[in-house]
Amino acid sequence: MHPNQNSIKIISGNSHPQLAKLIAEKLRLPLAKIGAFQYTNKETAVSVGESVRDEDVYIIQTGSGESNINDFLMELLIIVNACRTASARRITAVIPCFPYARQDKKDKSRAPITAKLVANLLTTAGCNHVITMDLHASQIQGFFRIPVDNLYSEPIFLRYIKDNFDLKDVIIVSPDAGGAKRVAGIADKLDVNFALIHKERQKANEVSKMVLVGDVSDKVCLLIDDMADTCGTLCKAADVLMKNKAKKVIAMITHGIFSADALDKLNNSKLDKIVCTTSLPLQKKLSQCPKITCLDISSTLAEAVRRLHNGESVSYLFNNAIE
Amino acid sequence: MTYATKWSVPNSSSMKYNIANIQSIYRTKRLIKIFAHFFCPTPLPMRDIVVLSGSSHPNLAKSICRHLTVEQGVLASKKFSNGETSIEIQDSVREKDVFIVQSGCGEVNDNFMELLIAIAACKTASARRVTAVLPLFPYSRQPDVPHAASLTGAPSLTVKKDQYTYESAPGTPKPLRDDTTDVFASTPPPLSLMTPSANSSTDLLSKATLNNLRIPTGGTSGKIPSLTPTAIVTNSAAVNIPSVDAYGRTESGYKQWVAQNGTLIANLLITAGADRCITMDLHDPQFQGFFNVPVDNLYSKPLLKRYIIDYIPDYQSCVIVSPDSGGAKRATSIADALGCSFALIHKERRAKITKTSPSASGSAQASPMVRHASASSVVGNSATMVATTMLVGEVKDRVCVLIDDLVDTSYTITRAAKLLKDQGAKKVYALVTHGIFSGDAPNRISKSAIDKVITTNSVPQVHTAAILGDKLEVLDVSRILAEAIRRIHNGESVSMLFDHGW
Repeated sequence: MHPNQNSIKIISGNSHPQLAKLIAEKLRLPLAKIGAFQYTNKETAVSVGESVRDEDVYIIQTGSGESNINDFLMELLIIVNACRTASARRITAVIPCFPYARQDKKDKSRAPITAKLVANLLTTAGCNHVITMDLHASQIQGFFRIPVDNLYSEPIFLRYIKDNFDLKDVIIVSPDAGGAKRVAGIADKLDVNFALIHKERQKANEVSKMVLVGDVSDKVCLLIDDMADTCGTLCKAADVLMKNKAKKVIAMITHGIFSADALDKLNNSKLDKIVCTTSLPLQKKLSQCPKITCLDISSTLAEAVRRLHNGESVSYLFNNAIE
Repeated sequence: MTYATKWSVPNSSSMKYNIANIQSIYRTKRLIKIFAHFFCPTPLPMRDIVVLSGSSHPNLAKSICRHLTVEQGVLASKKFSNGETSIEIQDSVREKDVFIVQSGCGEVNDNFMELLIAIAACKTASARRVTAVLPLFPYSRQPDVPHAASLTGAPSLTVKKDQYTYESAPGTPKPLRDDTTDVFASTPPPLSLMTPSANSSTDLLSKATLNNLRIPTGGTSGKIPSLTPTAIVTNSAAVNIPSVDAYGRTESGYKQWVAQNGTLIANLLITAGADRCITMDLHDPQFQGFFNVPVDNLYSKPLLKRYIIDYIPDYQSCVIVSPDSGGAKRATSIADALGCSFALIHKERRAKITKTSPSASGSAQASPMVRHASASSVVGNSATMVATTMLVGEVKDRVCVLIDDLVDTSYTITRAAKLLKDQGAKKVYALVTHGIFSGDAPNRISKSAIDKVITTNSVPQVHTAAILGDKLEVLDVSRILAEAIRRIHNGESVSMLFDHGW
């Protein structure tokens, strides 16, 4: 290959162009002139204005959008397929927030395992590799027949906690039993205590009863979870913690979906602050809810892309935040 | 002893005879049973069949079930607050023959994902066979030329309803100041719409606000500023759409192209677990070859043919017209079947100004080949595209029947109708299988030279019917689909439907 020729292409989907731009900037690359648009009949089409023949292609698309998450998913599939037909050497989908990650089990009879379906669809479209972040269940990796790099936002949060809080009066709290393992890991790394809130769920997106396990009095509680959607759990957990004499409650969430009336709930809640990552576009929501702070993950993703392209190990990123 | 042995031989032979007799009785009984299948006045109850309906076209599924005399299975489809589709199948499908009816209309991607999820759900719930019934196949037709609106006639979302023209019915001149709602009515298209990157960097969620633009509100007459279609290349939320010159080339000289999704859609359906597809009037017959599973492509031709025979007065003297060269085969087959004459409209696009001299146009009048040239300049580009439309065939004082498989933006068909009327056609009917009528198509048709649009209910037509009223006639395809489902379920031949319809 010609030494001056770049063999890597970054393509941005329409779901989170800012993140794509930041990743491209970090890699000192221009975004490829390949983009998706929609016809009036609402079919998605992808126009390719640049050759990707024998290139290493990275497509950045996140599972965002309350009204058009399916549009973005189809867009991703079509871009992947377009690159495949255009003879790309390797196609990697960078999906910081994996869509349909919560529909990962057959919890009712005849319930679809949509996460598995999405994995199959991506493979069928022609994806060779997937980079994602904080999968709701890491077992989703097993749904794929292609390699999946599940990155962690944990190092970024750890650095944030160390920079902003006095570790002596911090306690890490998991809002549900499922996240206990993740929270225990963080508590170990910070060498602080952790508590757990047990919730009884009767319907999806609805929480009934909450029980706190652990002592949080006069502590700064850091509620850690992988995603916040309608924020019902978070707000109720904050109530429970404040009732148990916590000093203040701060939520730390990887994927801030904040759908429906989540922002109103957060504004009225006892949460002091919500820290989330830029895995989803939040520009508009930041202005509506001043409590939200965003941590940039583009450097981690950019580093993962760089390492993947150069064939280096990605595991360094599991424990270290990238500046 | 001898007597006994004497008898033993014929006795055993008569035994044999008896056994053969019994066998033949059973055989005739079975034959009667088979004949009963044919002569039974009411169809035998269909067992082990489940018909489910997606949210795209519930009425069609309902009438299919009525024709099949089966009860529709319950498929509860809703959306989580984050927009993810959630499916719940409330009837058992274990070891059943499942048919899922979903048309590729409305919110195409939502409906298609819903279909994929439903298929996967049935498969994980141990359905014996899952058949996707797609009256209108999504993504079956996409223009292969880049999407510059003025060039392809397929405008993207941001083309405001006042910025394109009803070429076949120019609006009455009105003072442009009278509307207060639209800022851009009298000015050239705003810069922000032409440079999407500038817009999208500031407002990432602008796509959501575009929803307001998608639904045509009607009453747009008088807002037409000019007769040249303006080129607005992309929806403002789209990023990195390469800017191209009139030849479709980017600055680097790379010829821009639009990805074709046929194989992808086919593969996605198979991946989800579809064992078979039923569809109707596929735009490309080759599309069937993209599948590794059987695809039953039904035809609406018998239906359309019957409409022409029954409702078009003196149909033998009418002219069947194909609005573009791609549909010539489709139109000729109907023309042949009816014994009508045939005409064709051909459109050429050239990135040049081809000046038609007055003498040339004069001679064209005499010949049956008529050229209509309309120049439309690409905004921000020095090159000019010229679309030349020509009519091959004689239509003067005749009733014209335009035949197409799919009408979306309706630019092609309204232009064709105008051309036909200009050439002296008495009346113009438009017969289309799939009337998507996206964007402002219904309004455009109601103002166009088309006298009547006949389409099928492969796509819900309620919204279109409200605007077009008497101008629209909808034919029912649910019987064809129901019969195909019945035949496929019973393992009978479907090919009879191709010729005779139902």
